Amino acid sequence: MKTAPLYIRYGEHAALVRWEAVIDPMIHHEVLRLRHFISEKFSEEIIETVPAYHELALYFKPNVSVSEVLKKIKRGYKIYSEHPSEVNFNVKIPVCYDEKFALDMERVVTHTGLSKAEIIAKHTETTYKVYFLGFLPGFPYLGGLDTHLATPRLESPREYIEKGAVAIGGNQTGIYPSASPGGWNIIGQTPLQMFDLQGSQITILRSGDFVQFVAISAQEFIWIEEKVASNSYIIEKEVRHD
Amino acid sequence: MIKVISAGILSSIQDVGRYGYRDSGVPISGSMDAYAAQLANRLLGNHQDAALLEITLIGPVLEFREPTAIAITGAGFTPTINNREIPLNTRIWIEKGDELRFGLAAYGLRGYLGVMGGFATEVVLGSRSQYTGITKSTSLKKGDLLPILSSDKVGKITTASVKERMEHFNSKELICYKGPEFELLPKHIQKLLETQVLEVSSKSNRMAYLLTGLEKASAEEIISAAVQPGTVQLTPSGQCIVLMRDAQTTGGYARILQLSERAMHRLSQRRGGDHVQFRISDLPL
Repeated sequence: MKTAPLYIRYGEHAALVRWEAVIDPMIHHEVLRLRHFISEKFSEEIIETVPAYHELALYFKPNVSVSEVLKKIKRGYKIYSEHPSEVNFNVKIPVCYDEKFALDMERVVTHTGLSKAEIIAKHTETTYKVYFLGFLPGFPYLGGLDTHLATPRLESPREYIEKGAVAIGGNQTGIYPSASPGGWNIIGQTPLQMFDLQGSQITILRSGDFVQFVAISAQEFIWIEEKVASNSYIIEKEVRHD
Repeated sequence: MIKVISAGILSSIQDVGRYGYRDSGVPISGSMDAYAAQLANRLLGNHQDAALLEITLIGPVLEFREPTAIAITGAGFTPTINNREIPLNTRIWIEKGDELRFGLAAYGLRGYLGVMGGFATEVVLGSRSQYTGITKSTSLKKGDLLPILSSDKVGKITTASVKERMEHFNSKELICYKGPEFELLPKHIQKLLETQVLEVSSKSNRMAYLLTGLEKASAEEIISAAVQPGTVQLTPSGQCIVLMRDAQTTGGYARILQLSERAMHRLSQRRGGDHVQFRISDLPL
């Protein structure tokens, strides 16, 4: 399974390390392992790295020889055998699936042939892997949506989606961390601030974490929203041991 | 302090950009024509991280509430102080109460106003670059008061100026390198990328430039992965998108080319209707 990745230059000050183009937890594990190795050994040469499903992007400092450093990384990673125990979390995200938020629930019901209760049950029983963040500040690319819930995107995207909207687009599910245009089917909303400049870390989720949605009532939504606003809500998360 | 008397079309505070948060999906932002921005800071003896005002097409009217020095670089504005014309690319001393006007850019699109010491607006995640959702203020508004860092150098440095090469504003050529998905394109499309003259769409902005003329080409979507400013994307329907400083950090379109830094600076000075042409070069070591 462990195939050697390709090292590709990407403009004057960047490079990509690329594995087989599939969405696969094992490949993503390698992406994060290399990321850990680089952050430990090459912080002098590299400003930051951005993981995705099957690639790690490396952004170099301006006065560094990209080809020289790439050679060193390649050599070092070949003999790097550690599987660092990054601290990853199982994070519980409360979601209200009430009809006042679930603007496209009927569409998902029609498309999947499932009842609303079945959709909520399936959406909340899965543990989703956070592959990486992108698209918007704090937007998580989640893997693991139950295939029965897959619903095509809207034919014409909405101009405005509320911050916190939880949605299904094709075979993916996600959370809009800020108000934005978008074409996914909205099935609920979380009162949490997924992206928060005032928070101790700016995003609740990080690449490598896992998410579980927890259904809450409209009353609980208001209650949590108030706690979030007064900084007294404690996010339910536990360290993963894997 | 500088008071904004009128705002112009789109002016925003920018610096070298916001690094270290791309893995959270935060764009780097920063000056579009980083070359012109750096020039203004050099003329003032500023650190290269100093924040400037990026001015697009029609400039603001500003009133200085304290003495300082300024330098205006980039697009061909015809700035005046108290209605007397001042040169571009030159350090200019400013008295308290002076009124600076920019007028309309005769060539290029983006000008940079540097002030001695730099602007002292809000720092968020290590940068003053204004961006929706990150900084409270995202563009200049009438009545704004812009703080500037006081500098003890005021009055102590003699004049400085440079001559700007017009090539920066009128050369069609954009030097670029093969992107991660270049080799997946059929040979005749690879060739077309260099031979076709493309037109800049008027829908272009700080997030992306749209180029028309490659409608015959197309590329399949990829599994979402990192993108950066200067990445040239080709969509399944033949749209050619060049990502700029405010672009998102990941994307799902084929990354066919990557502009050189200099080509990004030059493209930032192009307007809707201008023509450009890619020239693919080998990467330096």
